[in-house]
Amino acid sequence: MENEYKNNHVKVANPKPFRFSNFLLRILAMATTFVAAIVMGLAKETETVPFVLIPGTDPLFVPVSAKMRYSSSFVFFVVANAIACAYSAFSLLVTIGGSKGSRALALGITILDVIMVALLFSGNGAATTVGLLGYKGNSHVGWNKVCNTFEKFCRNVMASLIVSQIGSISFVLLVAISIFDLHRRSP
Amino acid sequence: MASTEQPVDESSKAAVPESKLARGPSFSPIYLLWGDLALRLLLFASTLTGVVVMVTSKQTELLFPFPVTKTAKFNYSPAFIYFVVALSVACLYSILTITASIYFILKPSPSNKLLLLLVSVDALMAVLVASATGASASVAYIGLKGNSHVGWIKVCNIYHKFCRHIASSTALALVASIILLWLVLLSTLSIYRRIR
Repeated sequence: MENEYKNNHVKVANPKPFRFSNFLLRILAMATTFVAAIVMGLAKETETVPFVLIPGTDPLFVPVSAKMRYSSSFVFFVVANAIACAYSAFSLLVTIGGSKGSRALALGITILDVIMVALLFSGNGAATTVGLLGYKGNSHVGWNKVCNTFEKFCRNVMASLIVSQIGSISFVLLVAISIFDLHRRSP
Repeated sequence: MASTEQPVDESSKAAVPESKLARGPSFSPIYLLWGDLALRLLLFASTLTGVVVMVTSKQTELLFPFPVTKTAKFNYSPAFIYFVVALSVACLYSILTITASIYFILKPSPSNKLLLLLVSVDALMAVLVASATGASASVAYIGLKGNSHVGWIKVCNIYHKFCRHIASSTALALVASIILLWLVLLSTLSIYRRIR
């Protein structure tokens, strides 16, 4: 019975639904990580805030700006998304161009997919934490919230985080699909 | 391909103990199983130590010119709470899977469904621990360096012990996430070896 099962399954090397969803998810991952990196990378806002220099006098209006590269976590986020975007473009080309039943290729792509998952999720975790600090502040150590001043910047950061989260989840699905595929092909 | 393996398969079914070390198609090689167990034990150790070091990081300091004390605790920051929860989940999961791993070594023909379940949950745990590491490290970095652009002062010059604990447990979480990555790769490799 086991051998019958094996015979039936070795014949179907790589059925269409797997390949199609693989292809679709890679395009989704590439698009979302690209958009996330660009939106975060270009997030910049300059606001004039009142600043009372001498009590009793009129406040001075000082321009202050919020930029992505002021926070190392956001820089890490942009770099992680850029790497994931470049990798998904590369892996898309390889999966389209590579030979269909190659086992070594499938294994290599799966390993790199898993590494991308770890990279993207740690980047997301880091950037989300800093975004949350900017939104809520932390009263225990006197870190003030900044999102009441820089509304547009915070909106951009939030949009970028959500889009990147979609990209990360599609990488997780890609890993799941490759593992299911490898598993299905095993006797 | 499949037809040539047929006799090998039947003989290995008849004599299980001899084929433990052989590269039979339906058996994971024994060194992969031992590697799996070793990595899961390491995972247990690193996540448990990480949680304990993070939870015991409380420090109370006398702010020098004023007669007031201020306390730094991990649960003052949502990122650290998330970190503790994520590492605790990974620790419990590692206890469960150590027993599964021992079971595989004693009976080295695990069902495919069980292997698939293990590798999927391993991947989810890797995601969880990696994001917790990122979250905790970014707060720790702001605590260490501060951020002058938005006026977030550094706190590590006051709370030395607290920061040492945070840094150690973040490093342990990094180790744990690398171990989880290796576990996923090892399980993928052992599924992959069955395709002949």
